[in-house]
Amino acid sequence: MSRDGLTKMTKIEVVVGGADVPAVREVFTSAGATGFTGVSGVSGLGHHGYHQGRLLFNEQDALALLITVVPEERAGALLAGLRPLLDASPGVMFVSDTYVSRPDYFQ
Amino acid sequence: MSAAERARLRADVAVAGRILAPAWPLETFIAVNPLDGLEDRPFEQAVALAGGAFGARGTLDEGAFRRAHAEGRVTDADLLAALERRHPEALAEPGAAEILLADLLHAPPAPSPVRSLLTRAEREAPGFAAAIDAQAGKWCAAFVEAGEAAWAMPGRDAGFYAAWRALAPRDPSLPRPARRALAALPDAPEDAILAALETLAIPAGERRAYLQAHLVALPGWASHVRWRGERDGDVDLVDYLALRLAYEAALLDPTAPAPEARPAAAAPTPAERAARVAAVLGAEPAAVAPVLERLPADCRPFVWLDAYEEHYRGPLLEALAQPPAEPPSAARPAAQVVCCIDARSEGLRRHLEAKGDYETLGFAGFFAVAIRFQDLAGGAPSALCPVLLSPGHAVRERPAPGAEALAERRLAGLQALSGAEDGFHAAKDGAVAPFALAESAGWAAGPLAAAKTLLPGASGRLRERLRRHAVPDAPTVLGVQEAFSFDERALFAEVALTMMGLTGGFGRLVVLCGHGSRTENNPYAAALDCGACGGNRGGPNARTAAAILNGADVRAHLATRGIEIGEDTWFAAAEHDTASDRVTLLDRHLVPATHVEDLDRLAEDLDAAGARLSAERAASLPGAPRAASARAAARHVRARGTDWAQVFPEWGLAGNAAFVVGPRSLTRGIDLGRRAFLHSYDPAADRDGGALETILTAPLVVAQWINCQYYFSTVEPAVFGAGTKTIHNVIGGVGVLAGHDGDLQLGLPWQSVADGERLVHEPMRLLAIVQAPLARIDAIVARNTVLQHLFGNGWVALAAREQPGDPWQRHTANGWRSEIREEVGAR
Repeated sequence: MSRDGLTKMTKIEVVVGGADVPAVREVFTSAGATGFTGVSGVSGLGHHGYHQGRLLFNEQDALALLITVVPEERAGALLAGLRPLLDASPGVMFVSDTYVSRPDYFQ
Repeated sequence: MSAAERARLRADVAVAGRILAPAWPLETFIAVNPLDGLEDRPFEQAVALAGGAFGARGTLDEGAFRRAHAEGRVTDADLLAALERRHPEALAEPGAAEILLADLLHAPPAPSPVRSLLTRAEREAPGFAAAIDAQAGKWCAAFVEAGEAAWAMPGRDAGFYAAWRALAPRDPSLPRPARRALAALPDAPEDAILAALETLAIPAGERRAYLQAHLVALPGWASHVRWRGERDGDVDLVDYLALRLAYEAALLDPTAPAPEARPAAAAPTPAERAARVAAVLGAEPAAVAPVLERLPADCRPFVWLDAYEEHYRGPLLEALAQPPAEPPSAARPAAQVVCCIDARSEGLRRHLEAKGDYETLGFAGFFAVAIRFQDLAGGAPSALCPVLLSPGHAVRERPAPGAEALAERRLAGLQALSGAEDGFHAAKDGAVAPFALAESAGWAAGPLAAAKTLLPGASGRLRERLRRHAVPDAPTVLGVQEAFSFDERALFAEVALTMMGLTGGFGRLVVLCGHGSRTENNPYAAALDCGACGGNRGGPNARTAAAILNGADVRAHLATRGIEIGEDTWFAAAEHDTASDRVTLLDRHLVPATHVEDLDRLAEDLDAAGARLSAERAASLPGAPRAASARAAARHVRARGTDWAQVFPEWGLAGNAAFVVGPRSLTRGIDLGRRAFLHSYDPAADRDGGALETILTAPLVVAQWINCQYYFSTVEPAVFGAGTKTIHNVIGGVGVLAGHDGDLQLGLPWQSVADGERLVHEPMRLLAIVQAPLARIDAIVARNTVLQHLFGNGWVALAAREQPGDPWQRHTANGWRSEIREEVGAR
């Protein structure tokens, strides 16, 4: 499936506390994601109220956003790993279709 | 196995691993709360959970509390006040206070916690459980030692699981069927775990708890593997669990019937408790039982802890409520000295202030510059910042202009010393070389060892003189301009000055004083260095920050932000050696001629203040001469760091119990006994509250880790402490073993918290005392989960007041309340 010549893939975005970033990263890589983007110090209003964004001298207790894109056939494994992780700790996950121009980067 | 099953297992392992706090290598010892993963629960719940998981106590035992009561360290009034705070309903009946006091003091104590989170091998075949632990310890040690051992673990480069899988089936100590099973293990560690769980018939719903049972069996190794997995990645908890579960599945006969569970030590029954209390009071058991029912026996230790803490906290807050002994001088201070918030700095500050018109301040010892520092010798860079941060700036030391030749001599000396040391150790560790070494060097090594043992002070001074001759000092500078952009330097300067409330009234000299501890033959040396510098010495941070604050461009920017630093103000760097209490002024070659006299005067006063502090510390150091003059006491203390047989070089942060955020006028003139972290803060200089938020979410968090490390190493030394130093063997630079095998020791050695049976560290949770608008504190807590956990779950207590003269308010689940002791007294 393509849109304007692009390749359809699955994008998974996860917001977790800094201390949980290594676990999410590990699930990403073990489920076959070839890379990810991390944004530390994200802020926002959520289920538990307002969360402070960037803390000047503490990266561990600030929230982080991790984004990865995988071929659809790998998304199932990744979600299977992420769901128990998020069931056991605060955090949110967004899963959506996306389109990429260089599919070989994500295979 | 499918990719989804493997990913799910990895998630289960990650969640199970939260019961462990990551254990940093010993070389950069980082204090942590061993129950860090449980901070999202109330303290009492976390302690109960740790009791079942680790078999660990979370408070002193009742016997220790009762001894403290007998010594007056806890009084009846403290206990009644604690009961009122925690169990007011239990005090409702007339006469209840007397009954509950008798219960606290005399009831049969509850038995020590016993591990209930057990593996099948532990329940069914303890011999096999011991074998699994021995194998896990052996292979972990072989793997982490590979960097330093003469014989590296074969196949180590392929990672822990692959290297172990290749070697384990050749282990002749295992039965042949077990070796066959190990030889058939799959390539992926996840698959090995999943197969073992199936063999052991662990239901899916119990899988996570079962993995946890294996993790807590050897919490030291598992905690270090957790740290390594999140950093280096050469071994992780999945690898580690694959090893353990594979051995268990290979050794255990899953079809064998489970033996009868051993009964745990029974807790005293309510009838026994009532009978004992009634006997003490000369009453009928039936008369006391209804009152006792309102205070469950397992709540008693927390009542004791509350009372024990309040006995310290109440008088401290009362002392801090008094107006300053002397109003702050309006004159320009002789110098301003900014020390680390470390509790040990309080002593130096107090004695320096007594010497003259000095103003002292407290700030986290990395001075807001998170750097990766490489010294002149060019070794591996050190991360000099709190572990909450990644060091973003590479700072290199290089020869000062014109000092290149001297720097060359220094480098040559360092290389020669290092080569000689490496050669000596290589010869010592070799198979045949030790004989030749003994022949060639034994004549010198023997007398040298005797001198180091019998005359540690003189031998230390001699060695220092020889070292200085071989490795001469060379003036150096730090590459600060290359490491930071102008914007970064300007930001760090403004942040640091605003956070400590030093935004005006600068003296001619402002000294940024980092700290470290020089001790010999001490694997725990890093535990005595600066926690804010990642368990390293803080001198390079002080030098970096001073260089930034002396920059004309930075000062011009600060002036636009309302921080005017006069042209005659010079920022200098220094380092406090907390073992000897000597303060070394750094980068003296950079000091302008106009300030040399100021610096010399300060150096003299720092020397005198350090000597007084040494003499003060001598009073509590084991083996220090009690009747000696102040000068002799100081000389004795200063020699301890060079004594290679000394297990008590200094007490480090033992005794830490409070964290004060406010101006020095709040604490000046009060002897806080080196028990309080002191962070300077001026609410007026912090318009948006950002500085306070940074203080509470970073320095306070690090202080709480330190506090919890000391706390749990004291109340449960067998699990969360490292045991006695005298039988420690260092392994691979990552930790110590008690003896030659077994688990990696967590936490602090017993000699860091106690002298024999006498506790030197009083285990209390941290009390944070903040002078700032309460609404500002509330807003900061509301948007930071970490603070909600710490304050809301009882890991840290919080007291605050808006301004001097206001009563202290306690932070409670129901909002701010003024001093609780007064309410109890009014009952």
